[in-house]
Amino acid sequence: MEFKLTPEQEMLRDTAREFAEKEVEPRVEEIEKTRKIPEDLIKRLFELGFGGIIIPEEYEGSAAGHLARAIILEEIAYSCPALAFTLQIVHLGQAPLIFHGTKEQKEKWLPDLAKGKLIASCAVTEPTGGSDVMGIKTFAKKENNEYVITGRKCFITNVHLANIHGVLAKSGEDPRHMTFFMIEGDRPGVKPGREENKVGLHGCNTGELILDNVRVPVENVIGVEGKGLRVALTAITNVGRMGVAATGVGIIRRCLDEAVKFANQRVLYGQPISRLQAIQWLISDIYLRYETARLLLHRAAWMIDQGIRADAEVGMVKLTATEGAAECASKLSSILGAYGIMEEYAAQRLLRDAYSLIPAAGTNEIMRIVISRKAFERAT
Amino acid sequence: MPKEWKGIMTFTEQRFGQIEEVSLELLGGARTLAEKTGGDVSTFLIGHNIKNLAKELIAYGADKVFVADHPSLTYYQSDACTKIFTNLIHEQKPDIVLIGATSIGMDLAPRVAAKLQTGLSAHVVKLEIGPDGILRQIVPGFGGNVMAVVTCPEKRPQMATVRPGILKKIAKDESRQGEIIELDVKISEEELKAKTLEMKIEPPPELPIEKAEIVIAGGWGICDKECFNMLKELAKLLGGAVGGTRPVLDEDLIKEDQMIGQSGKIIAPKVYIGFGISGEMHHVVGILDSDTIIAINIDSKAPIFDFVDYGVIGDAKEILPRLIKKLKEKLERKQC
Amino acid sequence: MTEELQIIVCIKQVPDPHYLSKITIDPVTKTIRREGIPAVMNPLDRNALEEALRIKEQLGGRVVAISMGPPQAERVCRDALAMGVDEAILLSDRVLAGSDTLATAYALSMAIKKLGSFDIVFCGNETVDGSTAQVPPQLAEFLKVPHITRVRKILSINRNELIVERTIEYGYMKLRVKLPAVIAVTKEINEPRLPTVSAILKCYRKEIKKWTVSDIGVNPRQVGLEGSPTRVIDVFSPEVKRKRKIFEGTTDEAVEWIIEKLHEAGII
Repeated sequence: MEFKLTPEQEMLRDTAREFAEKEVEPRVEEIEKTRKIPEDLIKRLFELGFGGIIIPEEYEGSAAGHLARAIILEEIAYSCPALAFTLQIVHLGQAPLIFHGTKEQKEKWLPDLAKGKLIASCAVTEPTGGSDVMGIKTFAKKENNEYVITGRKCFITNVHLANIHGVLAKSGEDPRHMTFFMIEGDRPGVKPGREENKVGLHGCNTGELILDNVRVPVENVIGVEGKGLRVALTAITNVGRMGVAATGVGIIRRCLDEAVKFANQRVLYGQPISRLQAIQWLISDIYLRYETARLLLHRAAWMIDQGIRADAEVGMVKLTATEGAAECASKLSSILGAYGIMEEYAAQRLLRDAYSLIPAAGTNEIMRIVISRKAFERAT
Repeated sequence: MPKEWKGIMTFTEQRFGQIEEVSLELLGGARTLAEKTGGDVSTFLIGHNIKNLAKELIAYGADKVFVADHPSLTYYQSDACTKIFTNLIHEQKPDIVLIGATSIGMDLAPRVAAKLQTGLSAHVVKLEIGPDGILRQIVPGFGGNVMAVVTCPEKRPQMATVRPGILKKIAKDESRQGEIIELDVKISEEELKAKTLEMKIEPPPELPIEKAEIVIAGGWGICDKECFNMLKELAKLLGGAVGGTRPVLDEDLIKEDQMIGQSGKIIAPKVYIGFGISGEMHHVVGILDSDTIIAINIDSKAPIFDFVDYGVIGDAKEILPRLIKKLKEKLERKQC
Repeated sequence: MTEELQIIVCIKQVPDPHYLSKITIDPVTKTIRREGIPAVMNPLDRNALEEALRIKEQLGGRVVAISMGPPQAERVCRDALAMGVDEAILLSDRVLAGSDTLATAYALSMAIKKLGSFDIVFCGNETVDGSTAQVPPQLAEFLKVPHITRVRKILSINRNELIVERTIEYGYMKLRVKLPAVIAVTKEINEPRLPTVSAILKCYRKEIKKWTVSDIGVNPRQVGLEGSPTRVIDVFSPEVKRKRKIFEGTTDEAVEWIIEKLHEAGII
């Protein structure tokens, strides 16, 4: 067993780290203040190829894979979790096509998605159903070669940034009969609704998607009609949850570095507080969380790259990384004392960002259900 | 060791007819070394209409001054300078050659050493003669985190570029006697493959405090607008940036991104100079990585003096304007 | 002169500058401890690569990167390929270990001669490990071409000459140089590009030429410890303690003292 990145992955990591350090970090304050990620930063993500990292090469992506993706997201999240989250949803928007699109559909959309000419959202959640997907009410009624879709999606990341939307809708009498569509943003009746104000991940756009009698041709159906739930869940599990987890891992590493830096600098009782056991315990907890979450992340990503079903493993890392991020940010805040709640320190932002991450791509209660399912399956 | 290599030769750098300070220091350092090695201290002076400088070099310790004067040499010309200097070394056979580690010295010395196929050490911070009579050159490496003692045991001359400020010039003595030798210089335009067309003075760029090599900081002791204008003037003169403590920020004398310390910027400049800063820990943690810390404070018990390389007990408000005046005079002399 | 512009860039693997303060010396063995310190391309060498690539994009031509170093320095060759050079060469041989700047410049010059004719050799002005800034002028001497150090800007370029600015204390010099030449650049010259994801993946599918001294006709006695005129006879860690010298006197005396200290610190 080799616990080592390949040379390619190392260079990808170094490049993403340098991008984060030089181009992202100096703009975090601006992003926090304006609650907007500057357009040129989004453009850079595509220029550097981070946008097309899981798109196959024949569709102008780089097919670097899911482990490479996790590494890059961790690096960007270290500087700006909101930008990492925006990028991870860019990938999520591409995922239904990558996993379930036909050759024609891939040819039609993937090259533009890789280049950033198109950005797709992935709209599943509704006020009446997210964790309980069966509760969604958006309905797609078939009329000849078209569907007419009406409904209201909420908490959709990148919805105001996207110009094409992946949408899960009910499409039959059976509550399980659902279909997944790609819906171009310029179709009559498609309109992003209100923009939400989150306590954290400022700059990462979240909002409503309103679909009012939108006519969509059958060519826009991804996967099999009536089997859309699988399309949505494959994407959310392998890409959405993994992206949330990678963002969390980046937050934890930042907490670790900030904690060590502060503990070495801050002098109390005539010595740096890093000499105090109370502080050492907090720091070792953060370090342990980082290593645990990172190893789980890499293992799950490796499984996805190998084509091994990894639902439970993804659930484990999503849970560990998001709860870990919140816990570590809180511990960092403890180490910093009053500085922990001052705006000029990253600690308070990391805490808000970490909490904003927890409910994304399925609550951790849902993750526990997914994990327990495998626990029971493996019993003999 | 071949016998004929004897004495010490330095390179005298002049710009616009002014001798660089480091060149006088080299002469002082060479005199000290020559006490052990024996032999002459000679220097090589190159430029145009600079013969008048030769006497000054003798007054500062040169026994011989070799002058290369030519209209093509108004500015530093690497090809011509390399050629003339190399020939002179071949002919005079000095045991040691010292050159200032300036932008010009660092351009010239490596090429001359390569032509002579001898060793050269860079940015020397200390020179001494070992018991074996060989020059020991102490050089920094890895950003100053490692020091190495370098020698050149077999090849001659032993060459080093020396950082300005390391060696001490001797007191000027106009009565010193020395020899001035004018070199026969022939330069064809063809030879100047890399030709200096012009040389210009320009003010150093303004930098944020975390990037500046020199940071001038003010604290509660000089917390007024007038003083901060002076800090700015000083920073401009030295090509540095102005920073301050939290109380100074609260008085709106600096901006948020100029605050140094625990909740502000952590800086690591070459030189930090603090005026009227008492040295509270939350400020001090931001400056600990500075190469050199200088502080001026009226209170001899101020905690800042525990962290300084050089501390001045005195009134920052009085010292500041005088310092600016003196520096201006000094720099103007350099640039005219 | 060749038909298309031939540009060579010398690159070196060095300890990551972020970690320089972690470098220590084993007081017993006198070796430099660099465990756990990542190795990266010398930062200024990336500026050198960037400038070469920009010239190629503007005028056409070919860019070749050469690195002399241990086998692990393959990484910086990959970095150069990912940035966009046409070819990368790793000059690696045990006999090169311990080469000082003169021996290094000689070995690099032999590798460059083996490549045939060239128009420009770009180097970073200095490296973060030795910081001698000596290799570029010495390389130029072995190649018998002119050199310019501390270049911060290329004002104009054609097949025969460059006009550049080099920084000096308190100002700059403008120079014209006939090609071929060795040009050593500072960080002001440009902002080096980051490689794209695709370029990173593709650079690992390219071949890196690996040369030993016998491939380039280097006399082994002229390189390594034996071929280096300088010797390192001791290494030690500098005193980091503050000097804590306190001055008390008149204002004028204090001012003189401060100026003296500023000069000693290399500021004025």
